[in-house]
Amino acid sequence: MGDLESSQKLSGVSRPAEGVGGGSCTEISTELIRSLTELQELEAVYERLCGEEKVVERELDALLEQQNTIESKMVTLHRMGPNLQLIEGDAKQLAGMITFTCNLAENVSSKVRQLDLAKNRLYQAIQRADDILDLKFCMDGVRSALRSEDYEQAAAHIHRYLCLDKSVIELSRQGQEGSMIDANLKLLQEAEQRLKAIVAEKFAIATKEGDLPQVERFFKIFPLLGLHEEGLSKFSEYLCKQVASKAEENLLLVLRSDMSDRRAAVIFADTLTLLFEGIARIVETHQPIVETYYGLGRLYTLIKYLQVECDRQVEKVVDKFTKQRDYQQQFRLVQNNLRNSAPEKIEPRELDPILTEVTLMNARSELYLRFLRKRISSDFEVGDSMASEEVKQEHQKCLDKLLNNCLLSCTMQELIGYYITMEEYFMRETVNKAVALDTYEKGQLTSSMVDDVFYIVKKCIGRALSSSNIDCLCAMINLATRELEADFRGVLSNKLRMGFPATTLQDIQRGVTSAVNIMHSSLQQGKFDTKGIESTDEAKLSFLVTLNNVEVCSENISTLKKTLESDCTKLFSQGIGGEQAQAKFDSCLSDLAAVSNKFRDLLQEGLAELSSTAVKPQVQPWINTFLSVSHNIEEEEFNDYEANDPWVQQFILNLEQQMSEFKASLSPVIYDSLTSLLTSLVAVELEKVVLKSSFNRLGGLQFDKELRSLIAYLTTVTTWTIRDKFARLSQMATILNLERVTEILDYWGANSGPLTWRLTPAEVRQVLALRIDFRHEDIKRLRL
Amino acid sequence: MSMEDYDFLFKIVLIGNAGVGKTCLVRRFTQGLFPPGQGATIGVDFMIKTVEINGEKVKLQIWDTAGQERFRSITQSYYRSANALILTYDITCEESFRCLPEWLREIEQYASNKVITVLVGNKIDLAERREVSQQRAEEFSEAQDMYYLETSAKESDNVEKLFLDLACRLISEARQNTLVNNVSSPLPGEGKSISYLTCCNFN
Repeated sequence: MGDLESSQKLSGVSRPAEGVGGGSCTEISTELIRSLTELQELEAVYERLCGEEKVVERELDALLEQQNTIESKMVTLHRMGPNLQLIEGDAKQLAGMITFTCNLAENVSSKVRQLDLAKNRLYQAIQRADDILDLKFCMDGVRSALRSEDYEQAAAHIHRYLCLDKSVIELSRQGQEGSMIDANLKLLQEAEQRLKAIVAEKFAIATKEGDLPQVERFFKIFPLLGLHEEGLSKFSEYLCKQVASKAEENLLLVLRSDMSDRRAAVIFADTLTLLFEGIARIVETHQPIVETYYGLGRLYTLIKYLQVECDRQVEKVVDKFTKQRDYQQQFRLVQNNLRNSAPEKIEPRELDPILTEVTLMNARSELYLRFLRKRISSDFEVGDSMASEEVKQEHQKCLDKLLNNCLLSCTMQELIGYYITMEEYFMRETVNKAVALDTYEKGQLTSSMVDDVFYIVKKCIGRALSSSNIDCLCAMINLATRELEADFRGVLSNKLRMGFPATTLQDIQRGVTSAVNIMHSSLQQGKFDTKGIESTDEAKLSFLVTLNNVEVCSENISTLKKTLESDCTKLFSQGIGGEQAQAKFDSCLSDLAAVSNKFRDLLQEGLAELSSTAVKPQVQPWINTFLSVSHNIEEEEFNDYEANDPWVQQFILNLEQQMSEFKASLSPVIYDSLTSLLTSLVAVELEKVVLKSSFNRLGGLQFDKELRSLIAYLTTVTTWTIRDKFARLSQMATILNLERVTEILDYWGANSGPLTWRLTPAEVRQVLALRIDFRHEDIKRLRL
Repeated sequence: MSMEDYDFLFKIVLIGNAGVGKTCLVRRFTQGLFPPGQGATIGVDFMIKTVEINGEKVKLQIWDTAGQERFRSITQSYYRSANALILTYDITCEESFRCLPEWLREIEQYASNKVITVLVGNKIDLAERREVSQQRAEEFSEAQDMYYLETSAKESDNVEKLFLDLACRLISEARQNTLVNNVSSPLPGEGKSISYLTCCNFN
């Protein structure tokens, strides 16, 4: 305690008062005051006490102000007293009444409940009595029906008996007539067994005799006897036999058929088609019976049995196909050819019919499997409308398993696997042939191989597409991408690499060294053939034709992509190939489309080659003649130039001559690109010679005139504006045309207006210095 | 292309014997599922997953191929455009390991020479039935200069790591390639290359 006091004393912190309502007063005990000795401390405590007193006073005032309202509230409360007593009495009375009513209702309803129970029991009793009567009726009925061979009636009685509650039978045994019923039941069970035996026997006879009405008659009886599985299995056995006999018949026909027949090339595909159509017809015909007598969701079982027979027949047909068409042998030869280890080469044309037949076989199989999937899943769907998600998934799994793992699917996958390799070979060999037989007709821009190659590629992809197998289609698109990007682009690229030969005149100009260089480089590439030397014209033409070819290839690939896209939308709308089919196809197709850009790149490379070997060496000397024309001229010479143009007219004429050669033999797009390269070249080279010349005032004017004619000409041969490329030269002409050095300031800086200077201040000074009549110091003094 | 929302796009193709768990690896990575009783893949399956690596969106196109022989000609057609191949075997199946050299021959024959190949030993959750020791596989992959990883699609062990590490390597490889391409344009054609290069001067 002492500790606490001393700490309080020292810190002057006070404890909050307890038990004083809402007051913020502190309790400063008298002991505490007494223990204070220092005047300062005393004063502090006193001050705080005074403060607290004021607070307490304020609170008291506030409380007193409330007195009136509280008093008036008390008065109203007093007045309410008697009323409350009245309400309490009423409430008690009400509660009593409710309890009474409740009891009454309880009483009444319990009686109703008893009545209801009695009624239910009565119904049950009647039901049982009915059942027992039915039982007796069944016993009598079965006997008479069996006697009169009315198996449907007998089966209906047995069905009724099987549907009866087993407890009813137990109950009836315990009754007074127990022993008699027992005997009857025994009879009934015997009748059931007998009927089962009879039905099985009769069904067997009917199937043996191929008596469809009888077969169907007994097929309908099986489910009445609870023999769903057995009925379906026996019935499908019968159907399978029919499928088999028909299929064997068809196969025999094939083996005996005339090989010159119109359909001979696709006879195995036709045989498969007949098989599939037969089975589809069976499903179509018998689905209603199965649905009506066996219930929904049973179609799967029937088809499962049928598919076994289908697989057996497919195996036979494919076996015969493989043998008769030498399919495996052909495949092996192709494989060896692809590995370059074949003793004999296969003529690709010979593969053509067999490839078409295989894709047709696969297309038919896909169609058939799609038919089965649609039928079974819609049957399951209706049957499973109330079933749990698990059951649905289980059914879906069964369906997938049946269709994915059946021998038909596997066999077709195998055939398609071989097909892809053979189609790849067909494509590659035929493309090689088209390249080897490449011809060019005068007047055409491109040569024959471009059209041929794209015809082949389109044909191969189209054939893969006709198999209706998305993976097969995608694989062929991948292989076509490879063929175009690696092989065919390689062919064109090699042709371009042989270069555009320089003309004889230039050879003389360039001297013997460059000629040796050309021969040397072509030797290095192993392309040094006599034809090349014989006719440079031909080599030139070949280069230009190749450029056109490259451009058309790029175009054709884009077109091919669009065509394939629209061809496939139909396929996808039928839901072929599952949910990923579209994504797979799009991805493979975009790879193919990307090859278009690779051809575009090749075109640019070729153009650059053309420009640097054919255009530049020609143009440069023409531009260089500018140096031999003096631009330091007097009035007289200027006028003479007017009449006898010294340079620009001849230059334009030369350009025109050279470009006309290209214009005739290049496609408009390529020609445009080439003229663009040419104008750039002219601008760059002309700038160089101008900077090497010297001018006076009239010379500057002359140059301005020359430049204007040149730009005017070039504008007519290009399809876009060339002003930009000549901006620097035009500005140079402006500078060379000035009266005085300082006049440049009228065009420079703040005075430039809409003009954007492409020349740096240093370059401006350099150009000004070309004017021999401008003083060095004036140029130096300029503030740019 | 440029409108699509990613910085890199890579094609990854999974190959290897039938039943080694290629589909399960892909499903685990792309959907986080391990579907038991997975049926054999037919042809090729195709999945896309976009991942973020160091703030860059990387779209992975994953081609899951059928292991069965009869699909070989379909699956081979995808090798050439693949940026990476995941060669998978089953550590509890000696046979699937013994077939690896054959797969490597296929890669040699059909894939681009720039392709990255990763060797994956799957099913390490079945350690008690292991037939191929880790050391053996490591020695093999080292000899073939391949990255090696053991995974369990079932327990999700190393599956993320497999694909993300691969994506990282593909990114750095792609970066290097663009760098090399910028330094000198690799145009073929000995003596002529000079004239090809001059085109830059007047464009």
